[in-house]
Amino acid sequence: MSLMTLLPVWTAVFFTLAIYSFLYGENPWFRFAEHVYAGVSVGYAVAFNLDYLRDQWVNRWSMTGGMAVLYLFALAMGLLWYARFNKKYFFLYRWTLAIVVGTGIGMALRTVVFTQFLDQIISQAKIPLFISGDLLQSFSNILLIIMTPCVLLYFWFTGGARETGPMKHISKIARYTIMAGFGAAYGYTVLTRFSLLIGRSQFLLGILPNPPEAKMAFITIALVMLASLIGYDLLKPKNT
Amino acid sequence: MSILEKLQNINRRYIYLLAWVFVLFPLLFPLGLPVPIGRESKAWKEYIENIPSDSTIIVTMDYGVSGMPELYPMTVATMHHLWTDTASKNFKIIVVATWNQGPLVFDTLLDQMNPASTYGVVYGEDWIELGWIPGSETGMAALATDMWSQTPKDFLENRPLSEYPIMENIKTAEDIDLVVSFETGTPGLPEWLRQWNTPYGTPFIVGCIGVSVPGMAPYLASGQLAALMPGLTASGEYELLIGRPGLAVSGLDAVSMSHLLVVLLVVVGNIAFFASKSKGVN
Repeated sequence: MSLMTLLPVWTAVFFTLAIYSFLYGENPWFRFAEHVYAGVSVGYAVAFNLDYLRDQWVNRWSMTGGMAVLYLFALAMGLLWYARFNKKYFFLYRWTLAIVVGTGIGMALRTVVFTQFLDQIISQAKIPLFISGDLLQSFSNILLIIMTPCVLLYFWFTGGARETGPMKHISKIARYTIMAGFGAAYGYTVLTRFSLLIGRSQFLLGILPNPPEAKMAFITIALVMLASLIGYDLLKPKNT
Repeated sequence: MSILEKLQNINRRYIYLLAWVFVLFPLLFPLGLPVPIGRESKAWKEYIENIPSDSTIIVTMDYGVSGMPELYPMTVATMHHLWTDTASKNFKIIVVATWNQGPLVFDTLLDQMNPASTYGVVYGEDWIELGWIPGSETGMAALATDMWSQTPKDFLENRPLSEYPIMENIKTAEDIDLVVSFETGTPGLPEWLRQWNTPYGTPFIVGCIGVSVPGMAPYLASGQLAALMPGLTASGEYELLIGRPGLAVSGLDAVSMSHLLVVLLVVVGNIAFFASKSKGVN
Protein backbone atom coordinates (compact mmCIF):
# COMPACT_ATOMS: atom_id res chain seq x y z
CA MET A 1 0.00 0.00 0.00
CA SER A 2 1.60 3.26 -1.10
CA LEU A 3 1.82 6.35 1.04
CA MET A 4 -0.09 8.31 -1.59
CA THR A 5 -3.05 5.94 -1.16
CA LEU A 6 -2.96 5.88 2.61
CA LEU A 7 -2.36 9.57 3.26
CA PRO A 8 -5.69 10.91 1.91
CA VAL A 9 -7.64 8.16 3.70
CA TRP A 10 -5.93 8.75 7.06
CA THR A 11 -6.34 12.51 6.63
CA ALA A 12 -10.07 12.13 5.89
CA VAL A 13 -10.52 9.82 8.89
CA PHE A 14 -8.62 12.22 11.13
CA PHE A 15 -10.72 15.23 10.11
CA THR A 16 -13.99 13.30 10.39
CA LEU A 17 -13.16 12.22 13.94
CA ALA A 18 -11.77 15.64 14.85
CA ILE A 19 -15.07 17.26 13.86
CA TYR A 20 -17.09 14.59 15.71
CA SER A 21 -14.88 15.09 18.80
CA PHE A 22 -16.97 18.19 19.48
CA LEU A 23 -19.64 15.81 20.77
CA TYR A 24 -17.28 15.08 23.67
CA GLY A 25 -16.72 18.77 24.25
CA GLU A 26 -14.80 21.78 23.00
CA ASN A 27 -11.21 20.69 22.32
CA PRO A 28 -8.09 21.55 20.24
CA TRP A 29 -8.67 18.73 17.69
CA PHE A 30 -12.05 20.20 16.79
CA ARG A 31 -10.71 23.75 16.65
CA PHE A 32 -7.90 22.69 14.33
CA ALA A 33 -10.24 20.77 12.00
CA GLU A 34 -12.76 23.61 11.98
CA HIS A 35 -10.15 26.19 10.96
CA VAL A 36 -8.66 23.96 8.29
CA TYR A 37 -12.12 23.21 6.89
CA ALA A 38 -13.03 26.90 6.71
CA GLY A 39 -9.74 27.75 4.99
CA VAL A 40 -9.92 24.90 2.50
CA SER A 41 -13.53 25.56 1.49
CA VAL A 42 -12.88 29.29 0.98
CA GLY A 43 -9.71 28.53 -1.01
CA TYR A 44 -11.64 26.05 -3.16
CA ALA A 45 -14.38 28.61 -3.87
CA VAL A 46 -11.85 31.32 -4.76
CA ALA A 47 -10.00 28.96 -7.14
CA PHE A 48 -13.25 27.97 -8.86
CA ASN A 49 -14.28 31.61 -9.25
CA LEU A 50 -10.93 32.59 -10.76
CA ASP A 51 -11.10 29.63 -13.12
CA TYR A 52 -14.56 30.71 -14.25
CA LEU A 53 -13.40 34.32 -14.79
CA ARG A 54 -10.50 33.09 -16.92
CA ASP A 55 -12.75 30.84 -19.05
CA GLN A 56 -15.19 33.67 -19.64
CA TRP A 57 -12.38 36.05 -20.69
CA VAL A 58 -10.55 33.64 -23.01
CA ASN A 59 -13.56 32.16 -24.76
CA ARG A 60 -16.00 35.00 -24.82
CA TRP A 61 -15.28 38.52 -23.64
CA SER A 62 -11.80 39.00 -25.11
CA MET A 63 -13.12 38.45 -28.65
CA THR A 64 -13.85 42.13 -29.42
CA GLY A 65 -12.80 45.47 -27.94
CA GLY A 66 -16.35 46.36 -26.85
CA MET A 67 -16.84 43.09 -25.01
CA ALA A 68 -13.44 43.43 -23.35
CA VAL A 69 -14.44 46.84 -21.97
CA LEU A 70 -17.68 45.39 -20.61
CA TYR A 71 -15.77 42.53 -19.01
CA LEU A 72 -13.33 44.92 -17.32
CA PHE A 73 -16.25 47.03 -16.11
CA ALA A 74 -17.89 43.94 -14.56
CA LEU A 75 -14.57 42.95 -13.01
CA ALA A 76 -14.14 46.45 -11.53
CA MET A 77 -17.67 46.30 -10.11
CA GLY A 78 -16.83 42.94 -8.60
CA LEU A 79 -13.69 44.31 -6.97
CA LEU A 80 -15.82 46.93 -5.24
CA TRP A 81 -17.00 44.18 -2.88
CA TYR A 82 -13.69 44.67 -1.10
CA ALA A 83 -14.46 48.34 -0.41
CA ARG A 84 -16.44 47.15 2.59
CA PHE A 85 -13.15 46.58 4.39
CA ASN A 86 -12.27 50.29 4.18
CA LYS A 87 -14.26 52.84 6.20
CA LYS A 88 -13.54 55.68 3.74
CA TYR A 89 -14.69 53.82 0.62
CA PHE A 90 -17.33 51.64 2.27
CA PHE A 91 -20.08 53.32 0.23
CA LEU A 92 -18.64 51.90 -3.02
CA TYR A 93 -19.43 48.40 -1.84
CA ARG A 94 -23.11 49.34 -1.84
CA TRP A 95 -23.08 49.87 -5.63
CA THR A 96 -22.17 46.25 -6.23
CA LEU A 97 -24.56 45.11 -3.55
CA ALA A 98 -27.36 47.11 -5.21
CA ILE A 99 -26.69 45.44 -8.57
CA VAL A 100 -26.66 41.94 -7.07
CA VAL A 101 -29.77 42.48 -4.94
CA GLY A 102 -31.64 44.25 -7.74
CA THR A 103 -30.81 41.60 -10.33
CA GLY A 104 -31.63 38.77 -7.95
CA ILE A 105 -34.98 40.18 -6.89
CA GLY A 106 -35.87 41.13 -10.47
CA MET A 107 -35.08 37.64 -11.72
CA ALA A 108 -37.11 35.98 -8.98
CA LEU A 109 -40.11 38.32 -9.18
CA ARG A 110 -40.44 37.67 -12.91
CA THR A 111 -42.00 34.27 -12.24
CA VAL A 112 -42.43 33.88 -8.48
CA VAL A 113 -46.14 34.77 -8.64
CA PHE A 114 -46.78 31.90 -11.06
CA THR A 115 -44.37 29.35 -9.60
CA GLN A 116 -45.01 29.72 -5.91
CA PHE A 117 -48.40 31.37 -5.70
CA LEU A 118 -50.83 30.83 -8.59
CA ASP A 119 -49.74 27.27 -9.39
CA GLN A 120 -50.14 26.30 -5.74
CA ILE A 121 -53.63 27.83 -5.54
CA ILE A 122 -54.68 26.11 -8.77
CA SER A 123 -53.30 22.81 -7.49
CA GLN A 124 -55.22 23.21 -4.23
CA ALA A 125 -58.43 24.05 -6.07
CA LYS A 126 -58.13 20.99 -8.28
CA ILE A 127 -57.90 18.47 -5.45
CA PRO A 128 -60.82 15.99 -5.72
CA LEU A 129 -62.73 15.39 -2.48
CA PHE A 130 -63.36 11.70 -3.09
CA ILE A 131 -61.34 9.19 -5.04
CA SER A 132 -63.23 5.95 -5.64
CA GLY A 133 -61.42 2.92 -4.29
CA ASP A 134 -58.88 4.95 -2.31
CA LEU A 135 -60.35 5.86 1.06
CA LEU A 136 -57.04 6.91 2.57
CA GLN A 137 -56.28 9.37 -0.22
CA SER A 138 -59.86 10.72 -0.04
CA PHE A 139 -59.45 11.28 3.70
CA SER A 140 -56.10 12.96 3.11
CA ASN A 141 -57.62 15.27 0.45
CA ILE A 142 -60.49 16.26 2.75
CA LEU A 143 -58.03 17.10 5.50
CA LEU A 144 -55.95 19.14 3.05
CA ILE A 145 -58.97 21.12 1.89
CA ILE A 146 -59.93 21.92 5.51
CA MET A 147 -56.48 22.52 6.93
CA THR A 148 -54.90 24.75 4.30
CA PRO A 149 -57.50 27.58 4.50
CA CYS A 150 -57.47 27.30 8.30
CA VAL A 151 -53.72 27.93 8.45
CA LEU A 152 -53.99 30.81 5.98
CA LEU A 153 -56.76 32.39 8.07
CA TYR A 154 -54.73 31.86 11.26
CA PHE A 155 -51.94 34.01 9.86
CA TRP A 156 -54.39 36.46 8.30
CA PHE A 157 -55.91 37.40 11.66
CA THR A 158 -53.77 38.47 14.58
CA GLY A 159 -54.12 38.94 18.32
CA GLY A 160 -57.58 38.74 19.89
CA ALA A 161 -59.36 38.31 16.54
CA ARG A 162 -58.06 34.74 16.48
CA GLU A 163 -59.94 33.87 19.66
CA THR A 164 -63.41 35.18 18.83
CA GLY A 165 -66.36 33.70 16.93
CA PRO A 166 -65.65 31.00 14.35
CA MET A 167 -61.95 31.95 14.34
CA LYS A 168 -61.66 30.26 17.74
CA HIS A 169 -62.26 26.84 16.16
CA ILE A 170 -60.34 27.67 12.99
CA SER A 171 -57.32 28.71 15.07
CA LYS A 172 -57.42 25.41 16.92
CA ILE A 173 -57.42 23.39 13.68
CA ALA A 174 -54.66 25.63 12.31
CA ARG A 175 -52.47 25.10 15.39
CA TYR A 176 -52.84 21.31 15.12
CA THR A 177 -52.01 21.53 11.41
CA ILE A 178 -48.92 23.62 12.06
CA MET A 179 -47.80 21.23 14.80
CA ALA A 180 -48.25 18.29 12.43
CA GLY A 181 -46.13 20.17 9.89
CA PHE A 182 -43.43 20.81 12.48
CA GLY A 183 -43.53 17.16 13.46
CA ALA A 184 -43.01 16.06 9.87
CA ALA A 185 -40.18 18.56 9.45
CA TYR A 186 -38.57 17.36 12.69
CA GLY A 187 -38.85 13.72 11.63
CA TYR A 188 -37.22 14.40 8.28
CA THR A 189 -34.53 16.51 9.95
CA VAL A 190 -33.66 13.61 12.24
CA LEU A 191 -33.57 11.34 9.19
CA THR A 192 -31.09 13.66 7.49
CA ARG A 193 -28.85 14.05 10.52
CA PHE A 194 -28.67 10.31 11.02
CA SER A 195 -28.10 9.80 7.29
CA LEU A 196 -25.03 12.02 7.58
CA LEU A 197 -23.78 10.00 10.54
CA ILE A 198 -24.48 6.73 8.69
CA GLY A 199 -22.60 7.97 5.61
CA ARG A 200 -19.54 8.93 7.61
CA SER A 201 -19.74 5.70 9.62
CA GLN A 202 -19.75 3.71 6.37
CA PHE A 203 -16.60 5.58 5.38
CA LEU A 204 -14.93 5.02 8.76
CA LEU A 205 -15.72 1.31 8.62
CA GLY A 206 -14.38 1.09 5.06
CA ILE A 207 -17.64 -0.28 3.64
CA LEU A 208 -17.27 -0.48 -0.15
CA PRO A 209 -16.99 1.58 -2.31
CA ASN A 210 -15.24 3.51 0.49
CA PRO A 211 -11.53 2.68 0.89
CA PRO A 212 -11.11 -0.37 3.19
CA GLU A 213 -7.94 1.18 4.68
CA ALA A 214 -10.19 3.62 6.55
CA LYS A 215 -11.12 0.96 9.11
CA MET A 216 -7.60 0.63 10.53
CA ALA A 217 -7.17 4.41 10.47
CA PHE A 218 -10.50 4.77 12.30
CA ILE A 219 -9.55 2.42 15.13
CA THR A 220 -6.06 3.91 15.55
CA ILE A 221 -6.99 7.57 15.35
CA ALA A 222 -10.16 7.14 17.45
CA LEU A 223 -8.19 5.54 20.29
CA VAL A 224 -5.43 8.17 20.20
CA MET A 225 -7.95 10.99 20.00
CA LEU A 226 -10.12 9.63 22.80
CA ALA A 227 -7.09 9.17 25.08
CA SER A 228 -5.91 12.69 24.32
CA LEU A 229 -9.39 14.13 24.97
CA ILE A 230 -9.65 12.43 28.34
CA GLY A 231 -6.10 13.55 29.16
CA TYR A 232 -6.90 17.09 28.05
CA ASP A 233 -9.96 17.09 30.27
CA LEU A 234 -8.02 15.87 33.29
CA LEU A 235 -5.09 18.27 32.85
CA LYS A 236 -7.21 21.32 32.01
CA PRO A 237 -7.29 23.79 34.90
CA LYS A 238 -10.71 23.69 36.53
CA ASN A 239 -12.74 26.89 36.74
CA THR A 240 -13.54 27.64 40.34
CA MET B 1 -32.42 13.24 42.22
CA SER B 2 -35.22 10.83 41.39
CA ILE B 3 -35.10 8.48 38.41
CA LEU B 4 -37.71 10.62 36.65
CA GLU B 5 -35.52 13.70 36.98
CA LYS B 6 -32.44 11.76 35.90
CA LEU B 7 -34.24 10.59 32.76
CA GLN B 8 -34.92 14.19 31.82
CA ASN B 9 -31.34 15.26 32.41
CA ILE B 10 -29.29 12.55 30.71
CA ASN B 11 -25.80 13.77 29.84
CA ARG B 12 -25.81 14.46 26.10
CA ARG B 13 -22.57 12.45 25.71
CA TYR B 14 -24.46 9.25 26.58
CA ILE B 15 -27.07 10.08 23.95
CA TYR B 16 -24.33 10.58 21.33
CA LEU B 17 -22.66 7.34 22.42
CA LEU B 18 -25.97 5.50 22.06
CA ALA B 19 -26.44 7.04 18.60
CA TRP B 20 -23.00 5.74 17.54
CA VAL B 21 -23.80 2.28 18.91
CA PHE B 22 -27.19 2.15 17.17
CA VAL B 23 -25.58 3.18 13.87
CA LEU B 24 -22.31 1.23 13.99
CA PHE B 25 -23.78 -2.08 15.19
CA PRO B 26 -26.06 -2.73 12.17
CA LEU B 27 -23.31 -1.58 9.82
CA LEU B 28 -20.88 -4.11 11.32
CA PHE B 29 -23.49 -6.86 11.73
CA PRO B 30 -26.27 -6.36 9.14
CA LEU B 31 -29.66 -7.29 10.56
CA GLY B 32 -31.44 -7.82 7.24
CA LEU B 33 -34.56 -5.95 8.29
CA PRO B 34 -37.32 -5.95 5.64
CA VAL B 35 -37.34 -3.03 3.21
CA PRO B 36 -40.86 -2.12 2.05
CA ILE B 37 -40.74 -0.25 -1.26
CA GLY B 38 -42.34 3.18 -1.04
CA ARG B 39 -44.32 4.94 -3.76
CA GLU B 40 -41.72 7.71 -4.19
CA SER B 41 -38.93 5.35 -5.24
CA LYS B 42 -41.34 3.42 -7.49
CA ALA B 43 -42.47 6.66 -9.15
CA TRP B 44 -38.82 7.72 -9.64
CA LYS B 45 -37.93 4.43 -11.30
CA GLU B 46 -41.02 4.50 -13.52
CA TYR B 47 -40.35 8.09 -14.54
CA ILE B 48 -36.78 7.36 -15.59
CA GLU B 49 -37.85 4.19 -17.39
CA ASN B 50 -40.44 6.14 -19.35
CA ILE B 51 -38.20 8.99 -20.48
CA PRO B 52 -38.76 9.13 -24.26
CA SER B 53 -35.94 8.17 -26.62
CA ASP B 54 -33.66 10.94 -27.95
CA SER B 55 -34.25 13.06 -24.84
CA THR B 56 -31.72 15.63 -23.72
CA ILE B 57 -31.37 15.54 -19.95
CA ILE B 58 -29.64 17.93 -17.59
CA VAL B 59 -28.35 16.37 -14.38
CA THR B 60 -27.58 19.10 -11.88
CA MET B 61 -25.37 18.51 -8.86
CA ASP B 62 -26.75 21.05 -6.43
CA TYR B 63 -24.95 19.81 -3.36
CA GLY B 64 -21.50 19.73 -1.87
CA VAL B 65 -19.51 17.12 -0.01
CA SER B 66 -21.58 17.67 3.13
CA GLY B 67 -24.66 16.32 1.32
CA MET B 68 -22.89 13.23 0.01
CA PRO B 69 -23.93 10.75 2.71
CA GLU B 70 -27.58 11.17 1.82
CA LEU B 71 -27.53 12.20 -1.85
CA TYR B 72 -24.51 10.43 -3.33
CA PRO B 73 -26.07 6.92 -3.33
CA MET B 74 -29.15 8.15 -5.22
CA THR B 75 -26.96 10.09 -7.66
CA VAL B 76 -24.93 6.95 -8.40
CA ALA B 77 -28.07 4.81 -8.81
CA THR B 78 -29.77 7.36 -11.08
CA MET B 79 -26.67 7.85 -13.26
CA HIS B 80 -26.40 4.05 -13.51
CA HIS B 81 -30.02 3.91 -14.69
CA LEU B 82 -29.57 6.77 -17.17
CA TRP B 83 -26.25 5.57 -18.60
CA THR B 84 -27.57 2.01 -18.92
CA ASP B 85 -30.45 3.32 -21.06
CA THR B 86 -28.29 5.76 -23.02
CA ALA B 87 -27.29 3.31 -25.77
CA SER B 88 -30.80 2.00 -26.44
CA LYS B 89 -32.62 5.33 -26.07
CA ASN B 90 -30.00 7.69 -27.42
CA PHE B 91 -30.05 10.01 -24.39
CA LYS B 92 -27.90 13.09 -24.31
CA ILE B 93 -26.86 13.89 -20.75
CA ILE B 94 -25.45 17.25 -19.66
CA VAL B 95 -24.05 17.47 -16.15
CA VAL B 96 -23.96 20.88 -14.46
CA ALA B 97 -23.73 22.15 -10.87
CA THR B 98 -25.05 25.28 -9.22
CA TRP B 99 -23.05 24.48 -6.07
CA ASN B 100 -19.32 24.93 -6.49
CA GLN B 101 -18.55 21.59 -4.83
CA GLY B 102 -20.88 19.79 -7.24
CA PRO B 103 -18.11 19.02 -9.77
CA LEU B 104 -15.98 17.66 -6.93
CA VAL B 105 -18.75 15.23 -5.98
CA PHE B 106 -19.22 14.23 -9.61
CA ASP B 107 -15.47 13.57 -9.93
CA THR B 108 -15.84 11.03 -7.12
CA LEU B 109 -18.76 9.45 -8.98
CA LEU B 110 -16.74 9.23 -12.20
CA ASP B 111 -13.84 7.56 -10.37
CA GLN B 112 -16.24 5.00 -8.97
CA MET B 113 -18.44 4.36 -12.03
CA ASN B 114 -16.03 4.86 -14.95
CA PRO B 115 -18.86 5.38 -17.49
CA ALA B 116 -16.76 4.86 -20.65
CA SER B 117 -15.73 1.30 -19.79
CA THR B 118 -18.77 0.31 -17.71
CA TYR B 119 -21.58 1.63 -19.91
CA GLY B 120 -19.79 2.31 -23.18
CA VAL B 121 -20.91 5.95 -23.24
CA VAL B 122 -18.68 8.43 -25.05
CA TYR B 123 -17.75 11.74 -23.46
CA GLY B 124 -18.73 14.62 -25.72
CA GLU B 125 -21.17 12.49 -27.72
CA ASP B 126 -23.46 10.81 -25.16
CA TRP B 127 -22.73 13.02 -22.19
CA ILE B 128 -20.75 16.07 -21.17
CA GLU B 129 -19.91 17.89 -17.94
CA LEU B 130 -20.18 21.67 -18.07
CA GLY B 131 -19.13 22.21 -14.47
CA TRP B 132 -20.13 24.91 -12.04
CA ILE B 133 -22.69 27.57 -13.00
CA PRO B 134 -22.03 30.56 -10.73
CA GLY B 135 -24.56 33.24 -9.87
CA SER B 136 -27.23 31.09 -8.25
CA GLU B 137 -30.67 31.98 -9.68
CA THR B 138 -29.21 34.57 -12.07
CA GLY B 139 -26.80 31.92 -13.34
CA MET B 140 -29.69 29.50 -13.91
CA ALA B 141 -31.55 32.15 -15.91
CA ALA B 142 -28.44 32.85 -17.99
CA LEU B 143 -27.95 29.14 -18.61
CA ALA B 144 -31.55 28.90 -19.83
CA THR B 145 -31.13 31.67 -22.39
CA ASP B 146 -27.64 30.84 -23.67
CA MET B 147 -25.75 27.78 -22.44
CA TRP B 148 -22.74 28.38 -24.64
CA SER B 149 -22.12 31.83 -23.20
CA GLN B 150 -22.64 30.75 -19.63
CA THR B 151 -20.19 27.85 -19.94
CA PRO B 152 -17.84 28.47 -22.89
CA LYS B 153 -15.78 25.35 -22.03
CA ASP B 154 -16.55 21.92 -20.65
CA PHE B 155 -15.32 20.95 -17.20
CA LEU B 156 -13.44 17.69 -17.73
CA GLU B 157 -11.32 18.46 -20.78
CA ASN B 158 -11.47 22.26 -20.70
CA ARG B 159 -12.19 22.54 -24.43
CA PRO B 160 -14.65 24.88 -26.20
CA LEU B 161 -18.19 23.50 -26.48
CA SER B 162 -18.04 23.80 -30.29
CA GLU B 163 -15.66 20.81 -30.31
CA TYR B 164 -18.30 18.45 -28.87
CA PRO B 165 -20.96 16.89 -31.12
CA ILE B 166 -23.41 16.56 -28.20
CA MET B 167 -23.68 20.35 -27.90
CA GLU B 168 -24.36 20.94 -31.59
CA ASN B 169 -28.12 21.48 -31.24
CA ILE B 170 -28.28 22.42 -27.60
CA LYS B 171 -28.33 26.13 -26.94
CA THR B 172 -31.16 27.07 -24.58
CA ALA B 173 -33.63 25.59 -22.08
CA GLU B 174 -36.00 24.91 -24.98
CA ASP B 175 -33.62 22.17 -26.14
CA ILE B 176 -33.80 20.36 -22.79
CA ASP B 177 -36.43 17.67 -22.15
CA LEU B 178 -35.82 17.00 -18.46
CA VAL B 179 -33.83 18.30 -15.51
CA VAL B 180 -32.76 15.84 -12.80
CA SER B 181 -31.65 17.74 -9.72
CA PHE B 182 -29.93 16.42 -6.60
CA GLU B 183 -29.97 19.09 -3.96
CA THR B 184 -29.51 20.07 -0.36
CA GLY B 185 -30.85 23.61 -0.28
CA THR B 186 -30.53 27.02 -1.93
CA PRO B 187 -30.06 27.39 -4.85
CA GLY B 188 -32.34 24.48 -5.58
CA LEU B 189 -35.78 23.58 -6.85
CA PRO B 190 -37.65 26.88 -6.28
CA GLU B 191 -34.96 28.74 -8.24
CA TRP B 192 -34.92 26.15 -11.02
CA LEU B 193 -38.72 26.22 -11.25
CA ARG B 194 -38.78 30.01 -11.44
CA GLN B 195 -36.18 30.18 -14.21
CA TRP B 196 -36.78 26.95 -16.15
CA ASN B 197 -40.12 25.31 -15.39
CA THR B 198 -42.42 28.34 -15.45
CA PRO B 199 -40.93 30.17 -18.47
CA TYR B 200 -39.96 27.12 -20.59
CA GLY B 201 -42.09 24.30 -19.17
CA THR B 202 -39.07 22.07 -18.54
CA PRO B 203 -40.06 19.02 -16.44
CA PHE B 204 -38.19 18.40 -13.19
CA ILE B 205 -37.45 15.43 -10.97
CA VAL B 206 -35.60 16.01 -7.71
CA GLY B 207 -33.63 13.93 -5.24
CA CYS B 208 -33.28 15.79 -1.96
CA ILE B 209 -32.18 15.40 1.65
CA GLY B 210 -34.84 14.60 4.23
CA VAL B 211 -34.91 18.12 5.69
CA SER B 212 -36.09 19.51 2.35
CA VAL B 213 -38.95 17.05 1.81
CA PRO B 214 -41.77 19.03 3.50
CA GLY B 215 -40.80 22.04 1.37
CA MET B 216 -40.83 19.96 -1.82
CA ALA B 217 -44.20 18.28 -1.20
CA PRO B 218 -46.37 21.18 -2.49
CA TYR B 219 -44.47 21.22 -5.80
CA LEU B 220 -45.01 17.49 -6.16
CA ALA B 221 -48.73 17.88 -5.44
CA SER B 222 -49.05 20.70 -7.98
CA GLY B 223 -47.30 18.68 -10.68
CA GLN B 224 -44.46 21.18 -11.07
CA LEU B 225 -42.26 18.38 -9.80
CA ALA B 226 -42.75 15.10 -11.66
CA ALA B 227 -41.03 12.80 -9.15
CA LEU B 228 -39.30 13.16 -5.79
CA MET B 229 -36.64 10.97 -4.20
CA PRO B 230 -36.76 11.81 -0.50
CA GLY B 231 -33.57 10.96 1.35
CA LEU B 232 -31.52 7.87 2.07
CA THR B 233 -34.36 5.41 2.69
CA ALA B 234 -35.90 6.04 -0.73
CA SER B 235 -32.41 5.76 -2.27
CA GLY B 236 -32.07 2.29 -0.78
CA GLU B 237 -35.46 1.28 -2.13
CA TYR B 238 -34.53 2.59 -5.57
CA GLU B 239 -31.21 0.67 -5.49
CA LEU B 240 -33.20 -2.50 -4.81
CA LEU B 241 -35.72 -1.70 -7.55
CA ILE B 242 -33.03 -1.33 -10.21
CA GLY B 243 -31.14 -4.37 -8.91
CA ARG B 244 -27.98 -2.51 -7.95
CA PRO B 245 -27.64 -2.58 -4.16
CA GLY B 246 -25.15 0.02 -3.00
CA LEU B 247 -24.31 2.28 -0.07
CA ALA B 248 -27.93 3.23 0.61
CA VAL B 249 -29.07 -0.39 0.97
CA SER B 250 -26.17 -1.18 3.29
CA GLY B 251 -27.22 1.78 5.44
CA LEU B 252 -30.93 0.93 5.71
CA ASP B 253 -30.58 -1.21 8.84
CA ALA B 254 -28.72 1.66 10.47
CA VAL B 255 -31.50 4.06 9.41
CA SER B 256 -34.13 1.82 11.04
CA MET B 257 -32.08 1.38 14.22
CA SER B 258 -31.30 5.08 14.55
CA HIS B 259 -34.98 5.94 14.17
CA LEU B 260 -35.84 3.34 16.75
CA LEU B 261 -33.45 5.08 19.13
CA VAL B 262 -35.05 8.47 18.49
CA VAL B 263 -38.55 7.07 19.08
CA LEU B 264 -37.37 5.37 22.30
CA LEU B 265 -35.79 8.58 23.57
CA VAL B 266 -38.90 10.63 22.74
CA VAL B 267 -41.13 8.08 24.51
CA VAL B 268 -38.85 7.86 27.58
CA GLY B 269 -38.54 11.66 27.75
CA ASN B 270 -42.31 12.10 27.55
CA ILE B 271 -43.05 9.42 30.13
CA ALA B 272 -40.55 10.99 32.52
CA PHE B 273 -41.92 14.48 31.87
CA PHE B 274 -45.58 13.62 32.41
CA ALA B 275 -44.86 11.30 35.35
CA SER B 276 -42.81 13.94 37.14
CA LYS B 277 -45.47 16.54 36.33
CA SER B 278 -48.18 14.39 37.91
CA LYS B 279 -45.99 14.01 41.00
CA GLY B 280 -45.46 17.75 41.15
CA VAL B 281 -41.69 17.55 40.47
CA ASN B 282 -40.23 20.48 38.52
